[in-house]
Amino acid sequence: MKKLLVVDDEAEICDFLKTFFEERDYDVRTAESGIRALEMIAEDKPHVVLLDIHMPGMDGLATLKEIKSAYSDIKVVMVTAIETQEKIETAMRHGADNYITKPLSLEYLEKDVKEKIDHVIDMQESR
Amino acid sequence: MSKAKSENKSGAVIDYQGVLRDIAKSMVRLRRPERLLRMIIKYIHQEMNLSHASILVFQENQKYFSFVDSKGSRKIPPQLVKLDMDHPLAKWFQRGQSKELPSMDYLSRAQISRWMGDSALSRRLKDQLRGLIAAMDILNIDLAIPGYYKRALLGLLLLGEKRDQAPFTDPEIAFFQVLAQDCSMAVKTAEYHQSLLERNRELSGRLEQIEDMRQKEQDTYYQIMRSLAQEVWAKDAYTFGHIGQVERLGIMTARELGLELTEKKRAVLSAGLILHDVGKIGIPDHILNKPSSLDKEEWKIMRTHVEKGVRILEPLTAFKEVREIVRCHHEQYDGSGYPRGIRGDQIPIGSRIVSVVDAFHAIVSTRCYSKGRPVAFAFEELRRCSGTQFDPEVVEAMIRALTREMKKRGNTFFESPHQAEGPSIPEESVAS
Repeated sequence: MKKLLVVDDEAEICDFLKTFFEERDYDVRTAESGIRALEMIAEDKPHVVLLDIHMPGMDGLATLKEIKSAYSDIKVVMVTAIETQEKIETAMRHGADNYITKPLSLEYLEKDVKEKIDHVIDMQESR
Repeated sequence: MSKAKSENKSGAVIDYQGVLRDIAKSMVRLRRPERLLRMIIKYIHQEMNLSHASILVFQENQKYFSFVDSKGSRKIPPQLVKLDMDHPLAKWFQRGQSKELPSMDYLSRAQISRWMGDSALSRRLKDQLRGLIAAMDILNIDLAIPGYYKRALLGLLLLGEKRDQAPFTDPEIAFFQVLAQDCSMAVKTAEYHQSLLERNRELSGRLEQIEDMRQKEQDTYYQIMRSLAQEVWAKDAYTFGHIGQVERLGIMTARELGLELTEKKRAVLSAGLILHDVGKIGIPDHILNKPSSLDKEEWKIMRTHVEKGVRILEPLTAFKEVREIVRCHHEQYDGSGYPRGIRGDQIPIGSRIVSVVDAFHAIVSTRCYSKGRPVAFAFEELRRCSGTQFDPEVVEAMIRALTREMKKRGNTFFESPHQAEGPSIPEESVAS
């Protein structure tokens, strides 16, 4: 099963992406904060995390750092409003695997998530 | 529209015409088209049992279609999703459909399925139709309606399936088409209105700035000219107070002549009266202040002060007429003056006034080459040269005006220029 975690403080976005990917045969969970996301990852590791940057409390960049330092094999795709080049570079330096700005093309998002998950599953199986 | 009414989710009849009338009325009122678009989506959502109703508008700056609103259980978060210009739906509606298919200003899933069953269709077209189905799957829609303005695709109305999964009826589709067209008009009208407003604001702002700068520049230059003129007169030992007196006498004369002195015309005449000899700044002192009469060569040099004055005043673009006054202030009424030898009405009235007033003032003033004479003598002298050197009407007007003034204020006005009022110029005669 392809496992995806969506992290966004906007419930509307979480719900939409959950339904969207579930209809495409993903196992999708959602978290409304960075802390909650880390808890859920500890319970059950997803293949890919879709991560918003602007969240109250622990923001996306801090969450990204935590995820990448503890689980190097999880792919993290930042999904966020248009940001400064500096922020994008920081995210990439902290190990983000892609950076998609909102509003986004659903076709592109689906393709990117699929590629990342296939890659993670391939790597795990070849081990 | 084959039928004006159709049943809605509760079995009641939708009054399409009534809705259209309401919407048309709202369109006129709304400056912000987004509000109208949201109203329409809200209305569709309330009246019809769809999984979602969404509306997109092309964003000229970003070059994509963004969601203005989306409603329903399967609504699409407007802030999350966009359609690129090369999205299959956008491409389909932008380029016009294939000639292999009947022309149709909408796409429905049912329609595409019917087309797919047609074995005569080319493979390329079938691939394209498959792409459209995939795009409709992703957006979870059954029906897409384009909104055009002058053949450019402005927006899209996207509608999810009905709860009972029945296909859309023709009247429903026709109704949505009218709505989409109304939306396009509203968006375009508002855009046009907005851009007009912005352009107006921008233009008037810039014009003001330019006018302001021009005004400042001209004011500065005019001030410089005044001080130059002041200096010229200062070179002449007698001239204390001269500028103000000549200016006031000239304005009085113009009034006496019945000239219509608008603010602008008055400023021009004032400047002419003040600046007419500014070119003397370029004449050597030994010629300017020579106690005996000038020889031929010296006169030639002296006369160049007219041309020099014109050149100095060149940058004073707001006062082109001032230059003309300066250029012509040594012309004579009978055509015997310089530099061009023009006559009568060919000489600007401002110059005719300057030449009379200046001559009068020269006669009554004590200069290095002559002692000041009484006013009565000056009047006589002016009358003697009236019609040859001077415009007779101007001479008489000046005499009348000055006589009246001297009766009012006593004989102090020009009798003793040395003690006459200081070099200050009456506030009201400062040209702006």
